[in-house]
Amino acid sequence: MRMSNAGAFLAMVTLMAGTVFAHHSFTAEFDEKKPVKLEGKVTKMEWSNPHSWIYIDVETNGKVVNWALETGAANSLIRRGWKKGDLPAGTVLKVDGWQARNGSATANVSSITFTDGKRLFAGSSNESAPTK
Amino acid sequence: MLSWPWGTRCALLAAVLAVCGGSALAQQVQRTGGASALPRTTDGKPNFQGIWQVRSGAAYDLQDHAARAGMPAGKSVVEGGAIPYQPAAAAKKQQNFTNRLTADPLGKCFMPGVPRIMYMEYPFQIFQTPEHIAMAFEWSQVYRLIYVTAKPPLHEGFDSWMGNSRAHWEGDTLVVEVTDQNDKTWFDIAGDFHSEALHVTERYTLADADTIQYEATITDPKVFTKPWKISMPMVRQKNVPRLLEFQCQAEAEEANGDFERDPRTWYPKAGSPPSPLGPPAVMPPAVALPAVKTGANLKRTAEGKPDMTGYYNANAGGANYGLERHSRDFLTPATRGVVIDPADGTLPYQAWARTERVNRELPYRGYDDPTAHCFVAGVPRGIYTPSPFQILQAPGYVVLLFERMAWRIIPLEGRAHISDNVRLWQGDSVGHWEGDTLVVDTTNLNGKTWLNEVGDVMSHAAHIVERFAPLDGGKITYRATVTDPIAYTRPWTIEIGLSKDNEELLEVACHEDNGDLQHLKDVRDEHREQQKKEK
Repeated sequence: MRMSNAGAFLAMVTLMAGTVFAHHSFTAEFDEKKPVKLEGKVTKMEWSNPHSWIYIDVETNGKVVNWALETGAANSLIRRGWKKGDLPAGTVLKVDGWQARNGSATANVSSITFTDGKRLFAGSSNESAPTK
Repeated sequence: MLSWPWGTRCALLAAVLAVCGGSALAQQVQRTGGASALPRTTDGKPNFQGIWQVRSGAAYDLQDHAARAGMPAGKSVVEGGAIPYQPAAAAKKQQNFTNRLTADPLGKCFMPGVPRIMYMEYPFQIFQTPEHIAMAFEWSQVYRLIYVTAKPPLHEGFDSWMGNSRAHWEGDTLVVEVTDQNDKTWFDIAGDFHSEALHVTERYTLADADTIQYEATITDPKVFTKPWKISMPMVRQKNVPRLLEFQCQAEAEEANGDFERDPRTWYPKAGSPPSPLGPPAVMPPAVALPAVKTGANLKRTAEGKPDMTGYYNANAGGANYGLERHSRDFLTPATRGVVIDPADGTLPYQAWARTERVNRELPYRGYDDPTAHCFVAGVPRGIYTPSPFQILQAPGYVVLLFERMAWRIIPLEGRAHISDNVRLWQGDSVGHWEGDTLVVDTTNLNGKTWLNEVGDVMSHAAHIVERFAPLDGGKITYRATVTDPIAYTRPWTIEIGLSKDNEELLEVACHEDNGDLQHLKDVRDEHREQQKKEK
């Protein structure tokens, strides 16, 4: 139950990743030449404006790096009926996206995949994504 | 120690017995016969509309205090004199006081919360309808939208800096219950604080036509031993015809160099050398477009005007990513093109401005967009930024409240624009009705805003005429005609549809968590370093 809730939540987050309320240029912040593929465990979900952030721990060669994944605004998530705590820590995710141009462990998400292989594509930066 | 049920009992009994705060004042008003002389709305309620300000010294310290740097001495506005802190909280307050110059959230331009916003010594304006009380504050364009209803908030439990406000009338007193505030705000510069369990009950009573007696009862069982009350007069500002702006974060960033305005679009000071761009273009008049046919079955206000009150989203077709039609470019969405004049959808740029527009889309310029810094979007961008807004029609005014904390106040009585020398992020707007269409004329812009995140250009010289044409079914056809002789060769017009929805605004405290800005700054700084090396 918890997992399916998280799954539905992710559908929401990814649908809205980089959407609805961009307050700055994503093209300016993220690098088309730096596509990233990440796999890791959710450490926290930060509900904030103008963007919410999912943080995941990604282990590479024994070294763990905490990546920040930029998603849609908290307001839009709440308007769809979602609540804080709906994406539990420990959830394993695979993420496709683009890294920030400044080289930090920050990514704009294009898709998120669960361990069961179910893939959820992001309507990244798609303003016309429905708000309800 | 008073027991906690005091607050509950008080709330329950208040309506019937008027035993709680405000009753003494209300009786006094009636005794002196003042009640009959009070300004009243058409539905018979005390009329709070107007511009008000508190000068009680409470903003510095709610309790008795000696003078200190930046803080005049003042006497307590707390009933009984002292705030009843629990012992641990008293220690925390003392720590806040010691660190106040760096620890006060207001120092970072965060929203002050309630009640602090009410007694900061800036003017604010109240707009009143039977269903809503809106308060627009000069400080950082903060507003409160108070719903006069017994219905709970649509999104109860959504923490915010300014909280949720629900109001009801107890006789001639407006009682506002404020819930869902976060635990980050203080009550004053002195470090008086609260937890997320804060509940504020405000009481607004007209003592006379020009004085609101304001009371706020503070309940927070995690911090205080009992509820406590502050009270102070709010005084009508008869010599303040309109609110101006103090954009806290924008002014701070311009002062410390984090934000650099463009000297080509910024308003020149008197005596400045002539613009390197040469004299402004001689503009032909705007093309007269066929008027939008307004709805046949519009809901109307008591004055017979179309009632557009409500929560709106723009079907903006990606205008925030470009006003001209273009296809998707990496993470910049496609835009359908919203320019209806010129008919080919191309903005009539002057050559320098077209070059600037192209440059602004380069990654190292992303940092220069004022909204990336969380500054206000300006006019007309606030309408089509992908973020909702509320239209409120109060007597004599249309007010626009934008979810990302900014307001526009549009007076309808036909006043002139303010002095040319006063330049504002949101400009100076005046409105009038042409049939059923609301026409809003805006000047006095400061030339700092971008028209969208790809950098469509507009200067301080822009004169904007917006038309809100209401259609049936909660729709509005919105047009904005921009005449800007510094950046364009002729006027141009955009058209965007607005749709009403059964929703309530949720606060966006944009710069509280603006992690993107540093990334954008890094990209810009790297570019500047590269340029230095190449020289």
